[in-house]
Amino acid sequence: MDNLNLGRHISGQFNEDLERVINHVMHMGGLVEKQVSDALVAVAEADEELARKVLSNDFQINSLEVSIDDECTRIIAKRQPAAGDLRLIMAIVKTIADLERIGDEAEKIANVALESFSGDYKALLLSLENLGNRVIEFLRATLDAFTRMDAETAISVHKSDDKVDREYEALMRQLMTYMMEDPRSIPQIMSVIWSARALERIGDRCQNICEYIIYFVKGKDVRHLKAEDMKEL
Amino acid sequence: MISVTPKVLASDPEQLDLNNLSPEQVALGINNLNLYYGDKQALKNITMSIPKGQVTAFIGPSGCGKSTLLRCINRMNDLVDSCRIEGEINLHGENIYNKHVDVAALRRQVGMVFQRPNPFPKSIYENVVYGLRITGVNNRRVLDDAVEKSLRSAALWDEVKDRLHESALGLSGGQQQRLVIARAIAIEPEVLLLDEPTSALDPISTLTIEELINDLKKQFTVVIVTHNMQQAARVSDQTAFMYMGDLIEYSDTNTLFTAPLKKKTEDYITGRYG
Repeated sequence: MDNLNLGRHISGQFNEDLERVINHVMHMGGLVEKQVSDALVAVAEADEELARKVLSNDFQINSLEVSIDDECTRIIAKRQPAAGDLRLIMAIVKTIADLERIGDEAEKIANVALESFSGDYKALLLSLENLGNRVIEFLRATLDAFTRMDAETAISVHKSDDKVDREYEALMRQLMTYMMEDPRSIPQIMSVIWSARALERIGDRCQNICEYIIYFVKGKDVRHLKAEDMKEL
Repeated sequence: MISVTPKVLASDPEQLDLNNLSPEQVALGINNLNLYYGDKQALKNITMSIPKGQVTAFIGPSGCGKSTLLRCINRMNDLVDSCRIEGEINLHGENIYNKHVDVAALRRQVGMVFQRPNPFPKSIYENVVYGLRITGVNNRRVLDDAVEKSLRSAALWDEVKDRLHESALGLSGGQQQRLVIARAIAIEPEVLLLDEPTSALDPISTLTIEELINDLKKQFTVVIVTHNMQQAARVSDQTAFMYMGDLIEYSDTNTLFTAPLKKKTEDYITGRYG
């Protein structure tokens, strides 16, 4: 929170507005993280009840997105934020859009848990575990960087998306081998692929959030930069 | 150098590199300008180039020296007894503080508009032609043309064309301010200095003046001092932030208001304790 300097505005009201909206984003981040990890547990343990809970909780994330958007619009209208404050509001508006989409990916994963996997294929679901753990770790590190508005962490987290991508590719190769060996497994494997794809997308969205953090702290838009250019930051 | 995504929007502004302007691009070159009121130093070693045909805004808290700097540009500070100035301000490559410079001639090149509209207690017409008359222009047709041209440039013509010979004091505040701008531009200066030109006006008149400033830069170099940061953000191409007599940061307005380099600038424009 140190990098935010929220408390130093001459207008106490403005400080409060910004603190409130930041707290809401953190709350939303916490919810999203819980949704993703619950969805993964639901898949791993074939826990239908937990999967349904994930599906029914998504509305909370959606409504948080709407109300945070609303708060940001009001701040822009009333306070005309500039410089760091403006970049903070822009970063928040974009971050919550990505968080909401991560929530949607959690829903997709939870849906897989509701499908009935016959005994032979249950083992397939376990193959998601490595990728899932990697992504949860990635999401946590991203939210942590956001909470502290720490650009250095954001840069290193941004780079670690490569690991998620490698994990995803390894899993894909494994699943393709299964499909070739046993074509009857294809319907079930397709479900696993959808979940893997959802996890990989969560990694991409975390990367986006890291870019917004870097934008807020450094004032530089690093979207679509090549990896070697990122090093110069 | 970081390669950024190429700009594709037609509205993307061309940014001038303020540290590397070519001589043709510079309207005013301020070099190592120091100004003292008695023992107190009000401007500290100001060096900046003000580009031609653009709007440059000076912002900063009260007493930071922004109005003092603006007034230096047409030697208004000469009138203050205790005031001492070092350094130079170059207009056309010549220091305006050189001994042989004719101050009246300088002020014909560098017009000024103040915070409160100050029309003369004369008709609208006579207000506009005042500057031309004292330079000896008396040809009725020339004066008529100048009145229409200046009032049109000041976006006032349509409102006053049927009552040019009525007293200027009957106009509203916003109209008076535009009249004063018309009076300043009637003698076709190169540089127009605006010292908080809208601080005494209502929001609608303010927007009219801001719109006008945007039109004026096609013909003149405009330098504006404003307390209203949003106004600086809206009307200017470059912004200079001053604090306690120092020029803290001078850059293109888009950068200064989204990602300023100096912490003092950031604190000021976001309304934080310095």
